[in-house]
Order: sequence, then C-alpha cells, then structure tokens
Amino acid sequence: MVIIANLIQVLLIAISISIVFSKDNTRVVVFLASFSLLSACLYFLNKAPDVALAEVAIGSAIMPLFYILSISKQREFIVMSHVDDDYLKNEKNQKGKGYLLLENFTDYYKLKLYIFNDAEKAELKGIFRKSNVDLIIEKDESTNTYFLIGKQSSILMNKLAQLVENDDKTIVVKVKESETRD
Amino acid sequence: MIKKISLLIILFIMLILFIQMQFDLKGYLNYFSHEYFLSHTYKDTASSNIVTGIYLDYRLFDSIFEASILLIVVSGIVYMTTKEGEENERVFIFEKVKISNLLTILSRVLYPFMLMFGVYIIIHGHLSPGGGFQGGAILATAVLITYYIDPDKITKFSLIIFLEKLLFISILIISSLSLLTKNVLFTNFIPNQTSNTYRSIFLILLNLLIGIKVSLGLVSIFSSFLKEGRS
Repeated sequence: MVIIANLIQVLLIAISISIVFSKDNTRVVVFLASFSLLSACLYFLNKAPDVALAEVAIGSAIMPLFYILSISKQREFIVMSHVDDDYLKNEKNQKGKGYLLLENFTDYYKLKLYIFNDAEKAELKGIFRKSNVDLIIEKDESTNTYFLIGKQSSILMNKLAQLVENDDKTIVVKVKESETRD
Repeated sequence: MIKKISLLIILFIMLILFIQMQFDLKGYLNYFSHEYFLSHTYKDTASSNIVTGIYLDYRLFDSIFEASILLIVVSGIVYMTTKEGEENERVFIFEKVKISNLLTILSRVLYPFMLMFGVYIIIHGHLSPGGGFQGGAILATAVLITYYIDPDKITKFSLIIFLEKLLFISILIISSLSLLTKNVLFTNFIPNQTSNTYRSIFLILLNLLIGIKVSLGLVSIFSSFLKEGRS
C-alpha cells in the first residue's frame, strides 16, 4: 500500500511540473483533471473517503467542464457582415478578398471563424455588448471602401490593422465599447 | 521562462515547508478529540458516519455558513452575467454545432445511473461515506450531461435561484427547530430518548436539502457561464 501511495505522490509532482511547462490550454485542463483524480486516490488511501468523493466530483468533473467551456469561448472569432456582394464569398473555387484576409488572420491566431450575414442592418446599437461580436464589416457604396469595425480594447485589432496596411480599399476602425457608429 | 522557473522555485519552497511542518506538528499531536468523537458520536447524533455527525450536529452552525457562501457566489455570478434591458431572442448558428451521436447516446444511457448514484450518496450520508455536498456535486454532473442531449434544456434562471433561496431558508428553519423541543439552537430537534432510527430522520432531511441546494447552485453557475454573451 505504501508503495502505491509513494508512486502516486511522485506522479503528482510530475503532473504539476508538466502543467507549468505546457503551452496547450486543453492539455492543461486534462492534466488538472488527472491531478485531482490521483489526489482523490491518495485521500482514499489515507482513509478519507468523504473528501475523496468531493474531490472526484468537483475537481475532475465540474471544474474541467468550466475550463473547457471558457477556453472554447476564447477560440471563436465572430464576424457580422452588413455587406451583400462578393467580398466575403466562400466557395470552393473562388474566395472573396475579405474572406481570404480574415482566413489568413484567424489562421495566424488559430481561431475559428464564424461569419453571419446581416445585410438588412437589423440593429447596430450596442451590438458589442449584447451578442459578443468581434468584428463588424460595412461598405461605403460611394467610394467602394470596406470598413472593419472592432473593439479598441482587443489586441487582435492591431494585427488586423497591420495586415491591411497596404490596402486602400479596406480601413480598420477601432471603437470604444458601448459606443455606436453611424 | 523566468516566470516558469520562479513558479518552480515557489513550488519547491512549498514542498520544503510542508516537510518541515510535519516535524513541527509532532510536539502538538494528541488524540483527545479523536477518542471523544469515536466513543460519543453514535450515541449523541445517531450517525454511523462520524464526519456527518460532526457537520450536521456538533458543528451545524458552521455548515449553515458554508451553504450561505455557495448561495452568495451563485447570486453574484448570475448578477454579473445577465444583462440589463430587454432579452434579445436572436439565436446564432454556432449554438447548434453538431454534437457526435455517440456522445449523445452514451450520455442518455449514463444519465439515470448518475442520478441514482447521486441520490444514493445523499440519502446514505449518515451511514456510508458521502453526504449532501458530495452527492449534490454528482447530481450536478448528471444534470450537466443533459446539455449534450438538449442544449436548451434549462432556461429559467430566476426559478432556480428562487428555489435555492427557498431551500436555504428551509435549512435554517429545520436546524433551528430544536429551540422549541430542546431549548438549544442548531442541533437535532428529535428528543434524545427516541430510538436512533427515528433520530436519523433529521440527518436524512438536512442532507437531502443541502444536496439539492448544492446541485442547483452548480447547475446555475454552469448555465450562466454557457449563456454569457450569447443571448
């Protein structure tokens, strides 16, 4: 019995060191779950089954669920488009200019791209607060320029501005939160 | 790199401190309470599980504050994540991301067994390891599995929070009923002369209430995390 307990303790130290040095978030979550499972085994070996039950239920089932949920929220880049031409077209042979740009951008940060078409301009007011949109795309018909509107507080916008530096037809606009632009 | 190395150094110092603490504690070690609880718990509280006997009879006052902490945390999280103003009914496409069939069917099979195990842990809290908090956490995982079956299952937050408040108040009332029968607050309200089988009704009742309250709290935390920013 003592050998098993010592083995588990050594494993716990190894897992905690690998948590510190790991770079992938989901992998860290799996490590955390296994950490609490092993510590629950240790509690059980030291005759504390009540604490072990609580540790298994909370530490290795509910907390990883919370972590995975919040990580998956960070992985999304949500774009709302108010444009109804070929700019954001995504088909097998031909991709629009804007779609290529956004794809390039999200591949750089390993994000998942979601585009919603909302050509009727349903409600722009307070849209950042209400539905977590990261970027809004609009078009000025007279000058044929596209506006990419995003939050000022987001660091990702700087990279996007860098990408479109040489393009005259695309302009990145940074807006403060809860501020509207018409 | 510097951050990680400093973190490792902190962990190493903690390890040394823990080992040092083991030697320091040996001077203070005694077994008075150990022997007292082993010999008196079953007679005093009618609970075979000493841990349950302590947290539902000797230290019931502490358990009430533990329950209230969870209630305060849940109401704080729900207050911060719900938005003021009118509800926006727009549903985005990514809410309906496909979940694999295998996961759905497996969770359908597992769901009743998990519920049964949680209720068993709660009701047998005074006989075997477990109790209200542990069983409530298992019940909460069982309910969270239903999100794989149907994401729009739980919608009424206000009802959940209201139920939780109601359960907390009923825990308070039941634990202070002993003022009428025994003239002492926060202990078993059934007189000591009755048999142990009847006295354990109090333990089962409180365990059940605490378990339901904990599971409702964890479910409401999870669903407010899920709904945050996409209503």
